Amino acid sequence: MSLDMKPTESLPPQHVVDRWIGRTLQFGVWSSASLMVAGLLVRWLSRAAAPLPTENPAPGEIVRRLFSTSIDDVTLMYAGLVLLMLTPVLRVLTSVIGFSVERDRKFVVVALIVLGMLLAEFFFSMR
Amino acid sequence: MSLSSFLLLFLGGIVTGTFGAMLGLGGGVFLIPFLALAFGLPMHQAIATSIVAVIATSSAGAAMNVERQIVNLRFGMVLEIATVCGAIFGGVTANLLSGQTLARIFAILLLFVSFMMIWRARRSKSENGTTSQNGTFPSSFKDEASGTVVSYTVHRVPLVLLVSLVAGNISGLLGIGGGIFKVPAMHMISGVPIKAATATSNFMIGVTAAASAFIYFANGHLNPFIASPAVLGVLGGSFLGIRINRRIKGTALTWVFVVVLLLVSIKMFWR
Repeated sequence: MSLDMKPTESLPPQHVVDRWIGRTLQFGVWSSASLMVAGLLVRWLSRAAAPLPTENPAPGEIVRRLFSTSIDDVTLMYAGLVLLMLTPVLRVLTSVIGFSVERDRKFVVVALIVLGMLLAEFFFSMR
Repeated sequence: MSLSSFLLLFLGGIVTGTFGAMLGLGGGVFLIPFLALAFGLPMHQAIATSIVAVIATSSAGAAMNVERQIVNLRFGMVLEIATVCGAIFGGVTANLLSGQTLARIFAILLLFVSFMMIWRARRSKSENGTTSQNGTFPSSFKDEASGTVVSYTVHRVPLVLLVSLVAGNISGLLGIGGGIFKVPAMHMISGVPIKAATATSNFMIGVTAAASAFIYFANGHLNPFIASPAVLGVLGGSFLGIRINRRIKGTALTWVFVVVLLLVSIKMFWR
């Protein structure tokens, strides 16, 4: 038996979940890369660049600093890195919503299991 | 950190990301030795930086492959349950081991990667799969090289779940993607065409890497001054590597990198 290769057949229509996942990943990668570039630029351009903290701050602290008036290079870089780490989590969350819209219950459960493991591990690590 | 250090990390990221993408290995296999040997970074920090770079390249690649429907989304999500379990265990274990032990395990992994590269170079490039249409997770994608639509189903899922658990574990332990284990398993055990197996593995890598990245971050191993330029470099390098890969074919390049990997492996072992 061989692979079923059909030159005349067209692909099934793209699922909504495929499109949403693609967009979520693009958003996560390019937003986080932009934050890191901004952080590096601020570092180079400002003379009073922030020193590196002795330990990695909690994600909540990064978000608080990001929306404060005294935003600095280290916060921008941390924000980019944390957003990048959370991008796959957002992708799984998008899958849960996408599979729900498509009424694919079995894979809503599968995506929820993966999401649950990631979130549990995230909160356990960051506590 | 000086401007020259930032530039060195960025350029190092570009070079390692390019080589990784050209050889289909991801950035980590070259980035970790660069950070640990050339930059003198502690092993845990090198792994933490690599794992974040792996998320970036995986996510950027997966964004394209999902929309092109090459990824077998449902099969990938089921395997993610195993890779995430493995990655969490690997990340926790890595934080209990010394840097020297991790470097030695990494050196052994490089030997395995070299072996796999030789195997891949010798393997026939044709899609001579032997899958039937009576398995699970049916999927189809358009093979751009031949212009045909390839339909397939997946077989022996429990066995690939087991391989994914090991791949996830090694990913969390050593900061690599783990595609070097998953792609051959999906192709040879489950009968997934190599293009779909590669895209599905890459799709899973982001979630797998994120699971252990949180642990490294929480343990203070992620230095933003090192990770930011290196990750941006690897991301840029991976795009460059994919472009070069479309033009350069042949196994001579593979043999050059096999020798490089063997030398790096020796250097890492006696670091």
